[in-house]
Amino acid sequence: MEQSGSWLDRIEENIIALILGIMTLLTFANVVARYVFNSNIFWALELTVFLFAWLVLLGASYAVKKTSHLGVDAIVNMLSTDKRRVLALVSALICILYALLLLKGSWDYWAPYANLPPTEGRWFPTGFVDNFRGRGWYETQDIPVPFFLRWLEDAFNQGAEYEKMPKVVPYLVMPLSMSLLLFRFIQAGIAIWKGKIDMMIVSHEAEDDVDKANKAMAASEVK
Amino acid sequence: MELFLLFTMVIGLMLIGVPIAVSLGLSSILFLLIFSDSSLASVAQTIFEAFEGHSTLLAIPFFILASSFMSTGGVAKRIIRFSIALVGHFRGGLAIAGVLACMIFAALSGSSPATVVAIGSIVIAAMRQVGYTKEFAAGVICNAGTLGILIPPSIVMVVYAAAVEVSVGRMFLAGVIPGLLAGTMLMIGIYVMARVKNMPSGEWLGWREVYESFNDAVWGLSLIAIIMIGIYGIPGVTGAIFTPTEAAAVASIYAFIVASFIYRDMGPLAGSDGEARKSLLRNPQALLTAFWHEDTRRTLFDAGKLVVTLMFVIANALLLKHVITDEQLPQKITEVMISYGFGPVMFLIIVNIILLIGGQFMEPSGLLVIVAPLVFPIAMELGIDPIHLGIIMVVNMEIGMITPPVGLNLFVTAGVANMSMMGVVRAALPFLAIMFVFLILITYIPWISTVLPNAVMGPEIMMK
Repeated sequence: MEQSGSWLDRIEENIIALILGIMTLLTFANVVARYVFNSNIFWALELTVFLFAWLVLLGASYAVKKTSHLGVDAIVNMLSTDKRRVLALVSALICILYALLLLKGSWDYWAPYANLPPTEGRWFPTGFVDNFRGRGWYETQDIPVPFFLRWLEDAFNQGAEYEKMPKVVPYLVMPLSMSLLLFRFIQAGIAIWKGKIDMMIVSHEAEDDVDKANKAMAASEVK
Repeated sequence: MELFLLFTMVIGLMLIGVPIAVSLGLSSILFLLIFSDSSLASVAQTIFEAFEGHSTLLAIPFFILASSFMSTGGVAKRIIRFSIALVGHFRGGLAIAGVLACMIFAALSGSSPATVVAIGSIVIAAMRQVGYTKEFAAGVICNAGTLGILIPPSIVMVVYAAAVEVSVGRMFLAGVIPGLLAGTMLMIGIYVMARVKNMPSGEWLGWREVYESFNDAVWGLSLIAIIMIGIYGIPGVTGAIFTPTEAAAVASIYAFIVASFIYRDMGPLAGSDGEARKSLLRNPQALLTAFWHEDTRRTLFDAGKLVVTLMFVIANALLLKHVITDEQLPQKITEVMISYGFGPVMFLIIVNIILLIGGQFMEPSGLLVIVAPLVFPIAMELGIDPIHLGIIMVVNMEIGMITPPVGLNLFVTAGVANMSMMGVVRAALPFLAIMFVFLILITYIPWISTVLPNAVMGPEIMMK
């Protein structure tokens, strides 16, 4: 869909690599702290769990871009190109519907934590709720607030001090990731329409590895 | 009826090529919006809680990362060399060594396809060179590779433990004896076939080679020790040192250090294109640069991408699980089953069949998240041990991976061995028979699965 190695790819790849790296180091550091320094990074577990959620939810839209979501291609592969294209378009529409519904859900879920109004309507947003209770003062269990996020107190807590990181921060990933996901699904749909890709899915998780192994073997046979 | 619609929709969407995650997620969302009074906001919350509420699942990214660092090529080669030194001189020795290498690699990684790729890409070519048929080689690796999810650490077991809330440590221990048993059965099967068909045997290279190859592989092998000792401690010396999640994170860091500074297969010290590997003493700056070296970045990213695709499926499967438990579906099924007078034997056969069919279409972890909560309460009602049930499910999934027409390992092996799918299917059949015998053993002799966890961690306290 896009040339590999564009600057945007690079940034997204680095974010994925970085989050996973930080999660690993953080968990490792906590073990070291416990056995070597006899103390505990008490917020390490909670932060790692949030990073995990961020990794997967943000990564999901990257996976759409690279057509690497897992799926079943056994039936689709038996069809003619025309029929396959129709099915691919249908799947794209289904994916877009999924992302739309979840985007509304994510907003409704996150908004109260940011003292913003959730939307009305069961299926699709029909307007904003007038009467809602802000939850800007909800805090996470353990994570301290770093100094550069102190402005959150004015923005979401009427200036009152946060003892721990407010929940508005970790939950932000829901609307953020679902908007990205919606955007990428629409892009993928357009790419299918234009005939640039023919499916939304790969058949299995090791497809890339198999390709790599094949290339490595081909290279060694040449030698 | 509504639930029947739900499952039809999930399967229907999957078959027309909608990503598995979206098929699971959207069907659950539609079900909740139409038949219950849950709001979309609560759906979003359930998705976020897939992570927030299941810190057991946190072990998955770390096990994937550790196995990515270990799959950089060098470790697989060293393990294969060690296996050949040990058993290569038997008739059919290279094939037996292939199985042994798969077993060892399975103890480093938690995934079956990864095991097939790492070991298969080397062993299949080597077997052809000394005169085995391509079909035999592919059949051996395709089957032995499935041990990846049975021998701990195993991603599928972590998922099972998270889905039904049993201890990951127990599940891992329960996999040890079945894993060894399955490997031994495959090896004996190969040995018999090799005798009958007079297949080539290697030379006994002497204890010296055993020692040297062990010495070379020991850094990789000690990862197993770190994980096992870390989770269970040394009996009589120390108790458990890490949680399984921490063990996985420590294993990742250890694998990174081994791959970049000791084996130097990747990172700033690796020799490119036949160049000798560089010495750390002459390049001390590598201690720092290794952290952002292109190879490290690449490995982190590849592992991250795998985590994303797997966990996105699991998060959506947990949404479906939420629907299933809310609707009390398992209780309903239990009533029906008991009213028809089905006992544990019949129940286990049904579980076998569901998983064998489901394993055809779905990634094993995702399938497990859906099926486990469905059958778990029924199993408890019938008095089946939860750990035993877990092992049965894992073994079923192994077989699902190598059952035609669309087993996951069949695809991967076809890719690695450069064969057609049908070719691999035929090649895998004789070994598939062995695995079926194994499945029957596991299903009807709970002792094999439960003896080790009960011995090490004490008998299980059942909570209903």
